Amino acid sequence: MNPSLKLALLVLVALEISFTHVWTVNIALIVVSLILMVWSHVAFKRLVMLTLIPVFFGGALVWSLTLRGTASTHFLLVIFTRMVAYVYMGGWFAQTTNPLTLTRSLEQNAKLPSKFAYGFLAAFNLMPKIQAEVATIKAAALMRGQVLHFWSPQLYFKVILAAMNWSDQLASAMTSHGFVEDAPRTHASEIPLITRDWVLLVGSLALVQIGLFVGLP
Amino acid sequence: MKRWHIRDIILVTILAIFMGVIFWAITPLYSALTAVFAPMGLQPLANEILLGVWTMAGPLAGFVIRIPGAATLGELLGAVVEMFLGGVWGASTLISGTVQGFGSELGFMATRYRRYDWITLILSALTTTLVTFGWSLAREGYSAYHLGFLLLLFAVRFVSVFVFGGILTKLITNLLDRAHVLKH
Repeated sequence: MNPSLKLALLVLVALEISFTHVWTVNIALIVVSLILMVWSHVAFKRLVMLTLIPVFFGGALVWSLTLRGTASTHFLLVIFTRMVAYVYMGGWFAQTTNPLTLTRSLEQNAKLPSKFAYGFLAAFNLMPKIQAEVATIKAAALMRGQVLHFWSPQLYFKVILAAMNWSDQLASAMTSHGFVEDAPRTHASEIPLITRDWVLLVGSLALVQIGLFVGLP
Repeated sequence: MKRWHIRDIILVTILAIFMGVIFWAITPLYSALTAVFAPMGLQPLANEILLGVWTMAGPLAGFVIRIPGAATLGELLGAVVEMFLGGVWGASTLISGTVQGFGSELGFMATRYRRYDWITLILSALTTTLVTFGWSLAREGYSAYHLGFLLLLFAVRFVSVFVFGGILTKLITNLLDRAHVLKH
């Protein structure tokens, strides 16, 4: 499925089940996401993680609602299945979508301005460097006997300085390689958007609407 | 009104990734707090205590980059990073990220992107709390809580957002100001 449409489907469905109270639809979404993940060979370990996490946090939330609130069993069931459905649908999306293809698709199919698409890509490719930089900053502070926590302003100060420095350098590098903002571009790799994608999007959305509004529990 | 240029786009993205990496480190703390609070039925408190940390990318990006949309974009990209790193809430982080970012954005919007001081940060903390709490009422079923407990959750959330998005952000931007790297 085309990544942009896949993202749209995911966000629309997640938004819709946040405001509706039909637990059978949540279960159906969980089952479909699970089948899709098994189909795309998502590792077993990952599936176990994707199950344990929402069961733990969702279970704790439901328990708290039972003790401190006036929720009915139906409501609790909705909340619990909703949490699992979010995580499964997100797992399906994250495990079967390549960030590079998604960005290309957003630029070509969803008409995201190319400066955003290439800006995001440039920064996301720095991810390993960014992780290393946080470790370096902490280690450098430790050498001076200073422990930096997530509440220390100095940590963020140094991080922002590095971010400013790198964004200047990357932007100049892109300009010197001929990148011009808002100029028309050709694409080395085209992301197809075919009728089948639209049919899948509209069909899935229609199925969810039917499930939500025919009066299922 | 200032427009987005490639440098700002890269800066907001790098900033969001940095925040994502730092927040990633507190996930064990979140799990531990949940495990401690859960038996007493106080799980949401774990959420409320740390919520300020997760919503910090918004005010920080808004304050440093000073272009309309910076707070929303910073928070949303942070959520994207979290999702691809395998965050706890999966797809719904994208929506929560947008909601949180928009919440902080309202604070900057209220001062028409002209004031960058305490007033804006307090407003931003307030709008973030109100918007995200409305979202929790629907999404996490908070509407079913007794009023007393709900008020406690709201108060804890505001304090958390204010401490991290307000006080800590102000301390950070003070340092940046002294280093003369903020554009006025």
